[in-house]
Amino acid sequence: MISVQNLKKSFGELEVLKDISVEVNPQEVVVVIGPSGSGKSTFLRCLNLMESITDGQVLIEGKDLTDKQTNINEIRTEVGMVFQQFNLFPHKTVLDNITLAMTVVRKWNKREAEEKALKLLEKVGLKEKAQVYPDSLSGGQKQRVAIARALGMEPKIMLFDEPTSALDPEMVGEVLEVMKQLAKEGMTMVVVTHEMGFAREVGDRVIFMDEGYIVEENEPEEIFGNPQNERTKAFLSKVL
Amino acid sequence: MMNIWENIRWDIIVDYLPFFLKGALVTIGMSLAGVLFGLALGLLIGIGKMSPIAIARLPFIWYVNFFRGTPLFVQILLIHFGLMPIFMTPVNPIASGVVALSLNSAAYIAEIFRAGIKSIDKGQAEAAHSLGMNKLQVMWYVVLPQAFKRMVPPLGNEFIVLLKDSSLAAVIAAPELLYWGRAAQGEYYRVWEPYLTVALIYLILTLTLTYLLNYLERRLDTE
Ligand SMILES: Nc1ncnc2c1ncn2[C@@H]1O[C@H](COP(=O)(O)OP(=O)(O)OP(=O)(O)O)[C@@H](O)[C@H]1O
Ligand SMILES: [Mg+2]
Repeated sequence: MISVQNLKKSFGELEVLKDISVEVNPQEVVVVIGPSGSGKSTFLRCLNLMESITDGQVLIEGKDLTDKQTNINEIRTEVGMVFQQFNLFPHKTVLDNITLAMTVVRKWNKREAEEKALKLLEKVGLKEKAQVYPDSLSGGQKQRVAIARALGMEPKIMLFDEPTSALDPEMVGEVLEVMKQLAKEGMTMVVVTHEMGFAREVGDRVIFMDEGYIVEENEPEEIFGNPQNERTKAFLSKVL
Repeated sequence: MMNIWENIRWDIIVDYLPFFLKGALVTIGMSLAGVLFGLALGLLIGIGKMSPIAIARLPFIWYVNFFRGTPLFVQILLIHFGLMPIFMTPVNPIASGVVALSLNSAAYIAEIFRAGIKSIDKGQAEAAHSLGMNKLQVMWYVVLPQAFKRMVPPLGNEFIVLLKDSSLAAVIAAPELLYWGRAAQGEYYRVWEPYLTVALIYLILTLTLTYLLNYLERRLDTE
């Protein structure tokens, strides 16, 4: 579903991703962990071309992102993204946040889009908030709306970049719960997170990144129970 | 104090009041036209200044440099006596005034526009792009509506400045408010009556404008 081959990414002189190769299969939940600055966000953002790719190849459902012919915006409708800072549109109601791209990009008519949006809001437990503005929501509620907004495009893949890192501890659970549900329904997901409990419980595979490389990659029990690499061990001993 | 009050020649004010009011209308018209043309031109220049290609930014940068870095007074003279005769004879001073005010305000509005767009959090455009919107859609549906709200106060400020600065067009005999003030002074050889009346009318105009703008800001805030 996602195929990354020898991906390299530099910002000017700084090489942030050094040689990343990884496959993500349909319905798989891949969790990316690693120290700050190791390139996790950059890696994720290369998967929907929020960052340009310096070298190597990324294939999404067989479509080559580095190919000039590939329509980026079309790819992005297939690959949803959820940000640490939610990035809801403050000038639009919760409902309009979700329907905007549905009507403008997918060209669904307003009625159809609103029906779908309300179903999604119900799914994330916020149907009664449809008409309010994001300002009046708690962090956890905002992030659930952001997830619903991304799901509105009916993507085949969802990318999460530390979706709970900006939340007060008591709100982390409600967001993880929505993500768990999504995983259960068979969504293909790549999740950057510091929530090791989530990685263990929901992740099919864990990738440990450090200094622009994938240092270790394995099933959660293996990574957490029996890490092979010294750097993985050092990192886990700090966060667990 | 009593003395000054008694010495005011009200007849001058009464005599010239119709002209002052006509002049005030010209003042309002010129500033309004100036700010509207300035808005359109300023948007284009603002966009030009944000071009990713350095060389393409250059003419826009220098446009802004020139019109912000030289006195409006000089610009008015250059435009009225230099530029406008190329297009019309005789030159209509109101037209010169409008052109000068438009070109001048465009430079300031370009900066207001650019600052407004830049003030919107990068995450907004990113989120919109991540949903598959193209650049135009991101601008139109997400960035501009938010930027516009922030542009209202500085744009209002620019309008007020323009309204006052339009008085400089009196020197090229555009029949705006101050022009009639000068005319009255010339006719009666009196200073206080015409100029204080003119000042008072400017004050009424700017205060009204301030009030309207505050109202608009509050409306946008609660939306
Ligand atoms: N737009 C950019 N321009 C220049 N350098 C960047 C840019 N984005 C990221 N970097 C640099 O790339 C490196 C990796 O950043 P990245 O955000 O991918 O790390 P991360 O693993 O997500 O870290 P964190 O856990 O703190 O989010 C860092 O050194 C960062 O400073
Ligand atoms: Mg990051």
